[in-house]
Amino acid sequence: MPSATRRSLLHRLAERAGRVLAFLWSGWAGLAALCLLAAAWQAGHEAYGPFILTSPLDTVAAVAALASDPEAWAIGALTLQRAITGFVLVAAAGTALGVMAGYSPATLRLTGPLITVLMGVPPIAWIVLAMIWFGGSDATVRTVILISALPVVFMGAARGITTRDRGLDRMAEAFGAGPVQRFLTIGLRQSTTTLFPALALALGTAFKVAVMAELLANAGGIGGALADARINLDIAQALAWVTVSVALLISVEYTLVHPAKAEVDRWRRAAQPWGVKR
Amino acid sequence: MTALTLDGVGHAYLGRTILEDIDLAVAPGEIVALVGPSGCGKSTLAHIAAGLTNPRTGRVRRGYARHAMIFQDPALLPWATTAGNIDYGLRLAGVSRRTRSARIAKAAVQVALEPEDLQKFPVELSGGMRQRTAIARALAIEPDFIFFDEPFTALDVALRRRMQDLVIATCAAGRISGLFITHDLSEAARLAHRVAVLDTRGQGILGERLLAGAPGHRSDKAVFAWVQAALRQDPLFRHIHDVDERQIA
Repeated sequence: MPSATRRSLLHRLAERAGRVLAFLWSGWAGLAALCLLAAAWQAGHEAYGPFILTSPLDTVAAVAALASDPEAWAIGALTLQRAITGFVLVAAAGTALGVMAGYSPATLRLTGPLITVLMGVPPIAWIVLAMIWFGGSDATVRTVILISALPVVFMGAARGITTRDRGLDRMAEAFGAGPVQRFLTIGLRQSTTTLFPALALALGTAFKVAVMAELLANAGGIGGALADARINLDIAQALAWVTVSVALLISVEYTLVHPAKAEVDRWRRAAQPWGVKR
Repeated sequence: MTALTLDGVGHAYLGRTILEDIDLAVAPGEIVALVGPSGCGKSTLAHIAAGLTNPRTGRVRRGYARHAMIFQDPALLPWATTAGNIDYGLRLAGVSRRTRSARIAKAAVQVALEPEDLQKFPVELSGGMRQRTAIARALAIEPDFIFFDEPFTALDVALRRRMQDLVIATCAAGRISGLFITHDLSEAARLAHRVAVLDTRGQGILGERLLAGAPGHRSDKAVFAWVQAALRQDPLFRHIHDVDERQIA
């Protein structure tokens, strides 16, 4: 390997490691925010008593108890699996449909009102329908996730394509790129500007809707566990499950969405002033 | 054999004729400047000649092997570094991965980009550096014909001069032919072998003037004198500074 190539490879690796460290370092800000939330929670606990609001420490203890229970892991894994498969489904379908609509203004004009209708139907109505169609199964949860998050992903992808810089398309064509190449190297890459925020929103929706659908459709998972906690009036247990579902969402977001977004948005960071970067 | 021939080319946009009966030929190694008032269809003509737009009538014959294009807007991929942007053209040209890095380095040297500039993103570069990158992207694919679509209009006077010198030197060294669209007569007089004037309403080429001497060998005084004479005495250039905003460029 020529030394110049090796040096640039080392340089790139060092740069990447630096970015990972900077990202981890930014975790302190998140930790500070969580501590503030815990303080407010503790204040609420002291004002209303343990029956209305369990203290953060008791909730942490309940989470710890859940963590040592293999059954709880299975429950969490079930919800995680449903939320992720639902998210993958909606990401694939929404992106594909949105990109098609973005390239065809007539389709976009036709689907606009449909999206409004879809957004106007409350998710709870879809849960009832899905329960009738699929019973208390994975398909119910996935269907509800798909329907409630589809408009956001669709619009994100469509807007990304319609607002693309056509000058870049023209440039690529002048350098001999065919329609498929232009789509892969220019169109798709530009649509990430609006698609990524939409996907992050869809992921959050997927987790929330999964728990809600499980609770209402009596389909097990964290939603089912929450329903049990409600029957037993066990506030600590309910809050522990809420904490678990939030923790699951955060871990997925920071292992999946954020690294991908950071990689795609490297150039945006280069434009930021120093004070915003750190 | 000419490098580029336009034969009775015409174009209409939304039912309105913007170009009609355009005949123009560019010889190998020759740079032809196409001038005309704004909105007369110069850019459209360049796009037709480069194959980005299909002409409604007439035909375009291309005698060159590979063309590149430099736009008024540098049109760089914001997410790719300078090296990545130059690489994009090479990838589209089907250059093998092994030779690409050498070609990028060579093109960067040609336009005086430093190795550390190659790792920067377009947002970190000044306007002149971005246009340099666009020129490097065009030169890297080793074209024998370059379309210039008012490439230096947005640059300041000193920078524009340096870019013009760069174009003159590279085109002369590589025997590259070119069609240079501009509305600046002195720019045309500096870097072209021949100046063609497009009609105000795109109704054909009004006429051509051959410039004395090779580009790069004309003194500033000679260029200035030619422009003054053209504007004062030559009826061909009478409408060159007419502006009609209602026309579409």
